[in-house]
Amino acid sequence: MFHQSTYFVGCVGLMIVGLYTMLTKKNLIKVIIGLSLFETGIYLLLVVVGYIQGATAPIFSRTTGSPAEMVDPTPQALVLTAIVIGVAVLALALSLTIRLHEHYGTLNLRKIRGLKW
Amino acid sequence: MVAVLLIIVPLGLAFAMPLFNFVSKRIAAYLPIAAMVCNLILSILLLPSVMENTRIVILGGLPPPLGIHLVAGPLGVGLSGLISLVGLAVSIYAWGYIKQGAQDKYHALYLLLLSGATGAVLTGDLFNLFVFYEILCISSYALVAYLGDRNGVESAVKYLIQGSVGSGLILVGIAILYGMFGTLNMAQIAIHIDNVDSPALFLALVLLVTGFGVEAAIFPLNAWLPDAHSSAPSSISAILSGIAIKVGIYAVARVLFTIFGVAVVFQYVLLLGLATLLIGEICAFSQDNIKRMLAYSSVGQVGLIVFAMCIATPDGVGAGLLQLVSHALSKAVLFLGVGYLVARSGSMSLSSLNGIGKRMPVVCFACVVAAFSLVGLPPFVGFAGKFLIVRAALAGKSIFFTVLIGIVFLATVVEGAYFFRMVQTLYFKDAKRQIEYKKVPASASIPIMALVVFIVALGVYPDVLLPYLKSAAADLLNKAGYIKEVLG
Repeated sequence: MFHQSTYFVGCVGLMIVGLYTMLTKKNLIKVIIGLSLFETGIYLLLVVVGYIQGATAPIFSRTTGSPAEMVDPTPQALVLTAIVIGVAVLALALSLTIRLHEHYGTLNLRKIRGLKW
Repeated sequence: MVAVLLIIVPLGLAFAMPLFNFVSKRIAAYLPIAAMVCNLILSILLLPSVMENTRIVILGGLPPPLGIHLVAGPLGVGLSGLISLVGLAVSIYAWGYIKQGAQDKYHALYLLLLSGATGAVLTGDLFNLFVFYEILCISSYALVAYLGDRNGVESAVKYLIQGSVGSGLILVGIAILYGMFGTLNMAQIAIHIDNVDSPALFLALVLLVTGFGVEAAIFPLNAWLPDAHSSAPSSISAILSGIAIKVGIYAVARVLFTIFGVAVVFQYVLLLGLATLLIGEICAFSQDNIKRMLAYSSVGQVGLIVFAMCIATPDGVGAGLLQLVSHALSKAVLFLGVGYLVARSGSMSLSSLNGIGKRMPVVCFACVVAAFSLVGLPPFVGFAGKFLIVRAALAGKSIFFTVLIGIVFLATVVEGAYFFRMVQTLYFKDAKRQIEYKKVPASASIPIMALVVFIVALGVYPDVLLPYLKSAAADLLNKAGYIKEVLG
């Protein structure tokens, strides 16, 4: 369908959208959404790195499948690990956000400056 | 196979924490001590044998190019010994210091942090390095916010966001390397990397160094450090300054020297190290908050270590590693000691500590020794570190390095100025108000004094460490030797 480089452009684009969101938004929740977008871009990039045009998922469900018709499974294992790590980071970030809201009563990062930047 | 226990023991005990908690709530504080004693003994036992030849520990039954493996070399085992030494001191201190909040969770996270640090220095697989590095980072985000106070939570959020972007960049770097070479084994990548000349390779190098540089707090990625180190509980500040940033430096050095080994890049990183040194020391000089001052001093010291390592001669890397050991010991003592000074005086402001040296003699004496060691006065270990750095930098007799060493001396003068100001405050100023005198518990003074003994002993006999530093430096710099040892 598409040339493989199109996928790379899409992934890097998603990462840039995430970084842009993190840099420009003032609301902490939006910054965390940006972080999530950035990480999603990276996960897709990892999958694309191991993708082979027209190949299938590396699962031995059909008896006819040969290894040459399958995509590289290693990056997919990496992505699974990375997603788990990402979930932990997001959960921690959001729970810290709740605490921060208790202390400051706002999530506006321009107003949260108890410490000098 | 024994090297696996270095990771399994703290990791296993961290996850067994809820079970032990069923038996008794009081066991939690003893588990980190037990794990670190075990790790320290194992590291000391392993060190002589790995000095002769590096041991490869295969995990999961697949030999190196395919499976994940640990590289128990002089550098990895030496660093894990350092981690367990500082970790042991801090866990004894925390036994008496951490009295509020969910203590079992504190100790579980603390064990996770240490197992992440130990795993990161031992692994031979690039993605595994990332995973252990993330274990270290995530547990330190949570520990910075442990007290749940305003400053702690705010700095933890900053640390988390900057750290996660850094980790994301590492992952992109790993994706690029995997896409080019189809392997994650560091030795295997190092073999193939010399045959390829492509801009993508440079991009991968920049991404990896930037990502690991966030944890190592290399300028301009050091914005989180002063906040996080000053707002965390003092035992955590000690372990973050003593151990966590050292793992970042180790990862940067491993990527620069062993995986890539491109001599052109060293000079840029060297200049970054010098900038980190200058900015850290100058910012530290202008602080009134004592923990912020120590945190900025850590930034400066990181710069010095990176500077020394990027001289990229065996002597330079060895000197950098000695400075790394010296900073880990001294900064742990300072943060642990200052933790009780701040707790007794009730304020982190330097002026509130006027004349406290007469009331808390043991802790203040330890802080003064550690401060003198960081400045580089003999007979403490910091002197040996700085002396070797200067000798290594001037060995090539180039004008470039002579000028740079001049800048390092300038930074040392600034460092001396604020540490002597601290000493003056502790001993030679009169207390404005009477502080109620309460004895520092033995659980704090014993680990602090034990580390002070190390600072003095290694300062008097630095020769003990030199053979280890030499083979550890070779472990980092000798790319062909590393590849041969891993892949046979």
